[in-house]
Amino acid sequence: MSLFKLNPQTAKKLRRFREIKRGYYSFLILAVFLLLSLTGELFINSKALVVSYEGEIFFPTYSAFHPGTDFGLDYQYETNYRQLKQHFTDTGSDNWVLMPPIPYSPFENDASTGIFRPEPPDAAKQHYLGTDTTSRDILARLFFGTRIALVFAIGFMVAVYLIGVAVGCAMGYLGGMFDIISQRLIEIWSNIPFLYMVIIVFSVIPDAFTIFSRILILLGVMVLFSWTSMTYYMRTETYKEKSRDYVAAARVLGASNTRIVFRHILPNVLSTLVTFMPFTIVAAISAITALDFLGFGLPPPTPSLGELLKQGTQTLRTAPWIVMSAFGTLVVLLTLVTFVGEAIRESFDPKKFTLYK
Amino acid sequence: MSVIPLPKKQAESLLRVRDLKMHFPVKEGIFMRTGKYNKAVDGVSLDIAPGETLGLVGESGCGKSTLGRCIARLYQPTAGEISFEGQDIAKLGRKPLMPFRRDIQMIFQDPMESLNSRHTVAQILEEPFQVHKIGNREFRQKRVKELLDLVGLPARSVTRYPFEFSGGQRQRIGIARSIALNPKLIICDEPVSALDVSIQSQILNLLIDLQKEFNLSYLFIAHDLAVVKHISDRIAIMYLGKIVESGVGESIYRTARHPYTQSLISAIPVPDPHHVAHRQILVGDVPSPINPPSGCNFHTRCPQAMEICSTVVPTLSDETQPVSCLLYEASKT
Repeated sequence: MSLFKLNPQTAKKLRRFREIKRGYYSFLILAVFLLLSLTGELFINSKALVVSYEGEIFFPTYSAFHPGTDFGLDYQYETNYRQLKQHFTDTGSDNWVLMPPIPYSPFENDASTGIFRPEPPDAAKQHYLGTDTTSRDILARLFFGTRIALVFAIGFMVAVYLIGVAVGCAMGYLGGMFDIISQRLIEIWSNIPFLYMVIIVFSVIPDAFTIFSRILILLGVMVLFSWTSMTYYMRTETYKEKSRDYVAAARVLGASNTRIVFRHILPNVLSTLVTFMPFTIVAAISAITALDFLGFGLPPPTPSLGELLKQGTQTLRTAPWIVMSAFGTLVVLLTLVTFVGEAIRESFDPKKFTLYK
Repeated sequence: MSVIPLPKKQAESLLRVRDLKMHFPVKEGIFMRTGKYNKAVDGVSLDIAPGETLGLVGESGCGKSTLGRCIARLYQPTAGEISFEGQDIAKLGRKPLMPFRRDIQMIFQDPMESLNSRHTVAQILEEPFQVHKIGNREFRQKRVKELLDLVGLPARSVTRYPFEFSGGQRQRIGIARSIALNPKLIICDEPVSALDVSIQSQILNLLIDLQKEFNLSYLFIAHDLAVVKHISDRIAIMYLGKIVESGVGESIYRTARHPYTQSLISAIPVPDPHHVAHRQILVGDVPSPINPPSGCNFHTRCPQAMEICSTVVPTLSDETQPVSCLLYEASKT
């Protein structure tokens, strides 16, 4: 009896999920992408992976700031590793630089002419999807934009589930006046227009706030106005499970409310809520992209899909590659998550699921 | 107040219920005001002696399950007394109830519902010990094996889940859970109604064997008179929240006095093709316990109803086979 032994029902559901190839492979692709993107700085970065200078090896990706003088250049600001590589090749020295496959950072303006304008895709310059209106590499911005969107969506989902499950479960379990009052408050709360709240909140945040804390505030505002829908499912499911005899049996044994909720009700309810998770993620990605598109989302210069879409629609004729790549990425991303969601819904469907397979 | 007498001459009854009432508020309107009450149990008194089985029979909706759940303290009764070994437990909170939880246990009707499908048999059977903080892991595992052996399930069942068993086996798990803490009284809420007839007798015999071995008392709730007759020492008949007649098992079948009991007994099928049934068929449905009829609440369906029945409320008589009917009250005076 090991601790990690899966409930056979859960094991069967997972097996069914694996049998639904489309959803399973979408899940694998997303999982691999998410894992890779956590170390995305190794693939897409203006900093070199390895620099060998005068017999010493440097790893600038995750290490401290290296001014140009560290590598015998004549400037104090951060080394431009692409130029350094060019410099080493030109001088034919033993020193060498290993750059990532896409040697651009998402924040870097790479305007060779000195004028910021979108450049079409150019494999020779390693701008595989071109540059945006301020000459930043689109592939780099798409990659990191997707990463932020996914991490943001997962954080959003976790927070919404935590609050929604806790409140919904309390309402369903305690019932009575608490339930009625909370239900009315939730109805009022969910009628506050979310977009106006975002605009108001962002207009009062002082500029001194860091980008990271701004992203957290945005996440907080979005969660604050989204957790309510979760409580509806949770409340009814808890009501349903609470009245079943296994809960009565636990109560006759003298089990405490905490024990009944955490050992009996929650495990039985959560299996149905898992089905909603991918769709919550889809909703979060769409919402954050829409907000970015309107200019109320992630603060600039954070790379984001919505911001690229906005640029792309403004330069639809002159630089169609911007909107095409951003739109394509969004479609692929949302389709993959939706496929996963469909597969989970299919494999967790209690009606199709027979115990005696 | 007349009380169903104990058949054996026992000074102390294990369970003493006096004038127990369970009225559920009926919420109405948008402000959820309590307008009326559902009088599911309306003044029930009974005694159960140690080692005795009291059968409780009635139609569905007559309040017999509610009565059982009140005694198991799943509900807080509106009024009345539930004394267990001399102590009133009707108003106790969760903490002071804990020692009584060990003594009063319950078996439910549908074992699929009453066993958590996400727990293994071991988890289900260890829960009583965990809740009451009894013994260490080794002790619990040993006790689980013993319990499974007692109810006739193989020890290897511990890692299995309820859905891997048949209905009868599942009910055995439920029984094992209820006897885990060595209780003195078990409320059996229609424990065999959800089972096949062939399995019913096995489960009933298991209950009888366990009773002999551990000197258990049962409050055996059922709607099937034949099942109750098999297991009960005494039988009480319930109608609309009240006990209408009670008596020692055999005698109530032979000399049913209350018209309701008579019609119930006439409805028992007799396995004899030449038997000519004289059924007293009741017409109509059980009246709503929210608006019970005036006077004797059976008068709306009673074949022998008199004029007085709609105004005077009968009380349970003080006899060896108490009955709550004006037919007999009238003859006495």
